[in-house]
Amino acid sequence: MPPPNTPEEGVLTADSPSEQSAPSIAYIPTRHRLYPEPPESPPPRAPTAPPAATTESSRATTPNPSRPPSRPNSAGRASPISCSDRSCLPPINYQDLHYESEVDKSLECPICRTPFYLPLTTKPCGHTFCAACLDRALEIQPVCPIDRQPLDATRDLCHTRVLLDQLDRLRVKCPNRGCDHVCSRELLAVHYERYCEYTMVHCPAPECDLRVARVDARAEKGCLHTYTPCQYCDKSVMVANLEEHYDADCGGHTAKCAHCNAIVIRHRMEKHIAKDCLRTVVACKWRPFGCSEWAPREEVEKHEQGHCVYQAIGRLVRDRMDDRMMINELKDRLSNVDERLRKAEKEKRRSHAAPFVPDLDLNDSPRAAPSYNSGAWDSPEDYMLAQFERMESKMEDLRKMIVELDGHHSMRLLNDTMRLNEQIAELNSKVGVLGMHTTWLMNVQRQSRGQQRAGTAGGPPGSGMVGSSSSAGGGGNSAGGRSVADSDRSRYYSANDGGVPLRRNSHDRGENPPRL
Amino acid sequence: MEDSQNAAPGSVSANKLGGARKAADPGQNAAKRLQTELMMLMTSPAPGVSAFPSADGNLLSWRATIEGPDDTPYAGLTFKLSFEFPSNYPYAPPTVIYRTPIYHPNVDFSGRICLDILKDKWTAAYNIQTVLLSLQSLLGEPNNSSPLNGEAAELWEKDPALFKSKVMDRHKDLEDD
Repeated sequence: MPPPNTPEEGVLTADSPSEQSAPSIAYIPTRHRLYPEPPESPPPRAPTAPPAATTESSRATTPNPSRPPSRPNSAGRASPISCSDRSCLPPINYQDLHYESEVDKSLECPICRTPFYLPLTTKPCGHTFCAACLDRALEIQPVCPIDRQPLDATRDLCHTRVLLDQLDRLRVKCPNRGCDHVCSRELLAVHYERYCEYTMVHCPAPECDLRVARVDARAEKGCLHTYTPCQYCDKSVMVANLEEHYDADCGGHTAKCAHCNAIVIRHRMEKHIAKDCLRTVVACKWRPFGCSEWAPREEVEKHEQGHCVYQAIGRLVRDRMDDRMMINELKDRLSNVDERLRKAEKEKRRSHAAPFVPDLDLNDSPRAAPSYNSGAWDSPEDYMLAQFERMESKMEDLRKMIVELDGHHSMRLLNDTMRLNEQIAELNSKVGVLGMHTTWLMNVQRQSRGQQRAGTAGGPPGSGMVGSSSSAGGGGNSAGGRSVADSDRSRYYSANDGGVPLRRNSHDRGENPPRL
Repeated sequence: MEDSQNAAPGSVSANKLGGARKAADPGQNAAKRLQTELMMLMTSPAPGVSAFPSADGNLLSWRATIEGPDDTPYAGLTFKLSFEFPSNYPYAPPTVIYRTPIYHPNVDFSGRICLDILKDKWTAAYNIQTVLLSLQSLLGEPNNSSPLNGEAAELWEKDPALFKSKVMDRHKDLEDD
């Protein structure tokens, strides 16, 4: 396959597109043409503008007269000339990818029949193709491959965002042989270019132009592209391909195992003898415990399983060794824990020393600072923490004091008011007594006045008795006494002379002092 | 992403040198597409047509069969064809030839077919199955305006009975592969 810049491409005609290099490689730059400058906005340059010339010079050293005139848009292509940068990698062939997820039929390009890569949709008829496939089809005939609608590659194509998103989500396997990485298609390029250990990168040796898997591209491994004679056949093989050579095309790549006559790939022989060959004579695995059995592997295996008398003791010893190991491990861990505990305790003690300094003045920072500077604290944080703790304990003390004071105050308040209450009650009762005395005195006075008046008209026989009875009950039952006195009085007035005493009575009442 | 795109063409040569990675040879993409088509034909075959790569293991050469559609002079007959794919398939049409002798206005006596989609009307979206279905429908509806076999074109219109007998005379089942 000719590289894209060989003269072959110069004579390319629409009838002989097979001269083109493989589309997957030669057409990937198409993306630069179609994606960064969407076809909706045609390039702001005339088809004959200098960029077209750039295309010509970049794509082929010889002019390409057979290129259809619809291709000046390829001006946007990145220069596909040989890559002198040693960091560039072989491109991913998106048509060769293995898809892990099931791909809907509608996501397949009708031309390459694989899931779209950089899909483009035709504007007049709405059909979708991979950019590379469509590009190539349009080169042959500028019509839609499905319905032959005439297409202009500069104007009639657009991409469908939702389709791109759908395609980005497809799960694909890394194309590198030996790599099992599966990721969404969107992330494949990053994995391939940056992380995959099997990507073919340039050989670390400066004078070597070949490629080697990234995992082998280490300076200390040197250049793996030197030829070395195969140790089994006459060919000389590149070191990088030695494994492959042994497995596939080495002339003497298989050999008979000397013990079991099996045909084994030569460079796997050691492994075969050490692990698999049933006829190789090996020792019983309980040999360290005293068994002296040596036999071909298959017999020894049987012996180990059932007959070996050292099996029991061997198992016991092995278990004991396991236990011992575990004990040692636990011991180590215990001492570690102890150590840490001791350290923690020391620190704790150090941090507790400070709050007990009788430093009760909050503003007395100059006194606290020297204690930090003198090295009593491991770090400012410790110091601050200790200070904080001190503050906190002080706050606690203050709170307690406040609570105490509060209690005192309320007690005193309660005591004082109790006394006052008692005094008020006492005064109250005294006032009551005084009131009674006044009533009594008034009654007495009234009676004496009544007697004086009755003295002229004959006083009632029981009036003195009424007054004495009310005075006897006075004080304790003043209200009762009063009511009795009132009723007596009214009885007395109503019993005695009709209209005149009543009138007089009302007159008397007006003169009475207010009752208590 | 961008980087890999930029890197693409230059690394073609590097690819060749890489040793472990084989460079894509021309026709590899055609072979890949044909493999996909084979898968399609196996999983969802169309009635009356079938195709398979020829026995020699060359994926660019296929053998196909078409059964004559009912209600046509070709009813009940089976025709064998050969497909030869160019290395730039599907961008160029395959060469399709009737291997079974057939009397048809658009097929000449050596089996070459006059069908626009196999010539200038070919597009990359066609595939083996669509070609076979087109050929099958051509059996029932020949294009008599551009015949390869003028006599057949004339008889198709004028004397269907004679046409039918000519078809039966010409038909001969192939025994080989």
